[in-house]
Amino acid sequence: MLKLFPTYEVGSLPKFNARVQAAKSQPVSWEEVEELRHYAQCFSVPCDAVVDLLERQKREQRPLTTEEKSMLTDFNSLFNLRLQEQLGLDFVYDGEARRTEMYHHVVRQVNGFEQTPEMIRSRGPDSWRMGICVAPPSLKEGSLPELVTREYDFVTRHASRALKVPLDDPYMIAVMSDNRYYSALLKATYAAHPRQLRYEAKQAFTLALAENVIRPQVQALAERGAPWIQLDVPAATLDLEHLPIMVAGINAVVERFENVKFSLHICYPRRISLMEKKGYELLFPHILDLHPAVNHFSLELANADQYEQDLAVFKQYQDERKFEIGVGVVDITQEQQVRGQMETPDIVRQRILRAAEVLGDPRLVFVAPDCGLRQLQLERCIRLYETIVAGAELARKG
Amino acid sequence: MFGIYLTGPFGQSPALYQARNEAKRGRGTEEVVSRQILADTEKVLALQQGANFDYIIDPSFSQYYLFQPFSEQVEGVSVGPQENWFNNNVFYWRPQIQGPLSLQMGFTEKYLQLNHFPHTISLAVLPSPYTLLLLSDVWGYADKKAAITNLAELLAAEAQHLVTKGIRRIQYDEPALVVKQSLGSLREEDLSLLRRAMDIGGRIPGASTCLHTYFGDAGPLLPYLSALPVDGLGIDGTETSLNDILKQTYENKEIALGLVDARNTSLENPEELAGQVRNVMEKTHPQKIWLTPNTGTEYRGFTPAVQKAAILGKVKRILKTEGPDYA
Repeated sequence: MLKLFPTYEVGSLPKFNARVQAAKSQPVSWEEVEELRHYAQCFSVPCDAVVDLLERQKREQRPLTTEEKSMLTDFNSLFNLRLQEQLGLDFVYDGEARRTEMYHHVVRQVNGFEQTPEMIRSRGPDSWRMGICVAPPSLKEGSLPELVTREYDFVTRHASRALKVPLDDPYMIAVMSDNRYYSALLKATYAAHPRQLRYEAKQAFTLALAENVIRPQVQALAERGAPWIQLDVPAATLDLEHLPIMVAGINAVVERFENVKFSLHICYPRRISLMEKKGYELLFPHILDLHPAVNHFSLELANADQYEQDLAVFKQYQDERKFEIGVGVVDITQEQQVRGQMETPDIVRQRILRAAEVLGDPRLVFVAPDCGLRQLQLERCIRLYETIVAGAELARKG
Repeated sequence: MFGIYLTGPFGQSPALYQARNEAKRGRGTEEVVSRQILADTEKVLALQQGANFDYIIDPSFSQYYLFQPFSEQVEGVSVGPQENWFNNNVFYWRPQIQGPLSLQMGFTEKYLQLNHFPHTISLAVLPSPYTLLLLSDVWGYADKKAAITNLAELLAAEAQHLVTKGIRRIQYDEPALVVKQSLGSLREEDLSLLRRAMDIGGRIPGASTCLHTYFGDAGPLLPYLSALPVDGLGIDGTETSLNDILKQTYENKEIALGLVDARNTSLENPEELAGQVRNVMEKTHPQKIWLTPNTGTEYRGFTPAVQKAAILGKVKRILKTEGPDYA
């Protein structure tokens, strides 16, 4: 039986600069090598071979071979795993060490996609490269190892704690992509109704992604015995009229898998929605139609710090569906990092207890960061995990 | 009369992305970013001039979101939590307004390249007071009417200030109204708040004004919008049915038709667009008709933004041959 308030990571961790630079055949500084060595020693991860490789590459100024890049990736993956385990998280994974970033990692393995020529700005200076759907999407042949099975096999060989595997959900990919193919396909049918065209085109796109891109990954993981898969749908409330599409996409992914627990990660819901409902209220009643295998939501809550308002709707609907909640207890934004502010274990404790009180059942409460930590400095990530684990421990004492 | 212009931020170039990314990761400097912003701004201004755009807009490379100048420069306002910018994978930060705000002018200047490119930029974008009110957290006012009055006065003063800097058209960005309409949550109170705001700032001496709606269906609101005291009305043609636009006339109003979809890389057919413009012109008799993108072209990057701008230029060349109505 699980202890009260189990802790987990949401997804990504930052990659070592030394690894990123070396993989791009760019100069690696002495400080970057030392940083890697320092953290590896902190978490007892063997690094002599990696440091030797980096120093050799510096001397020889040559591109890394595929095997050498793989050695660096394995090191980073193992490091992330050990970091989470040693800091005391109950559910762990590899910090997405093998993925470029959540969206591009998947889209580049899909037939039917082109890339926009440039990076598109999203949040302040943060940018992403958008995929353009120009034909029905399907996974490229032989792409599963690159996408998910290699990382999963590596993690299962090395992990000593329970696993939770993060995957993209189809709706997120649809929202972040340029839907050229389905828009053109359906244009004639809905020419006089532009809004309905957008809905129908997105629905067709999402369901195709669910069936042909995400479900095969889930299938591969289920065959390997993955116990828990988290589908990342940060954009769930982006288009308030399209929530049924999100639900249909998730259901198309998860149906007919037995013995796999599914959760959804959602962050930054529309707290100003221009409707009477706002925030996570917007998910209801739509998510009542989710497949029963989806019984858990990981939610961003710390950034807004309005646990009572944000979670009340989950309590309100508990007679119809009772969901576990992965409560975001630490704010992972860069603004907090720039300000040098961070939660204390006692603040985390209070947030956990506030969430438990709203939900009316402490067994429904899991503890997590608001979102993945990829954008933060590694030192801050370590402090955040420590704070989460310490805060959960305090909360267990009441 | 027919004309073309861009209506918002332009797509980011690879060089600007690179500079921003390097600065963000501590490997580059803000100075490099600023230099790249100037270089890219010059390029986009030249692009507009070269294609005979009727108004020239600053591509807004110094600004991350519509409310940024207001939130960062106006005393009494601060930057709040982040939110999605409507249904885009783009974020803004909610303004935290501790009202009432005193009248302060020049708060947008830092974000516009007016001094670097004198006598060039002629169109400036400001948030519509109504959208600003709805997407902000607001304290210190007796009611919403008092709040929007204060915001409209502040923005009208800024618009007037921009006129002294050479701006000839003020575009008030108004997505919230049509999005609420589309979501079915629009109330009479909303309409009277926007009306109040336009009564105050809808006419700016020395410049034309346009209330630019986007991301929602303006169709059912067109009779109301057409009666507002503002010179022009921007309509998102990717959300609003052309049939609805054609249902009424706009004799005393300029219409900016947002028929070029800034959120899709499919390239519109200039001949088709010219036909749609002709159709609207002949059936609805606007005072002036403009062809524009539905919103800023920032959502697909630099190259698609250039392609969309080129489409506007092509339509202008097509229609120019069709007589004085399209001159």
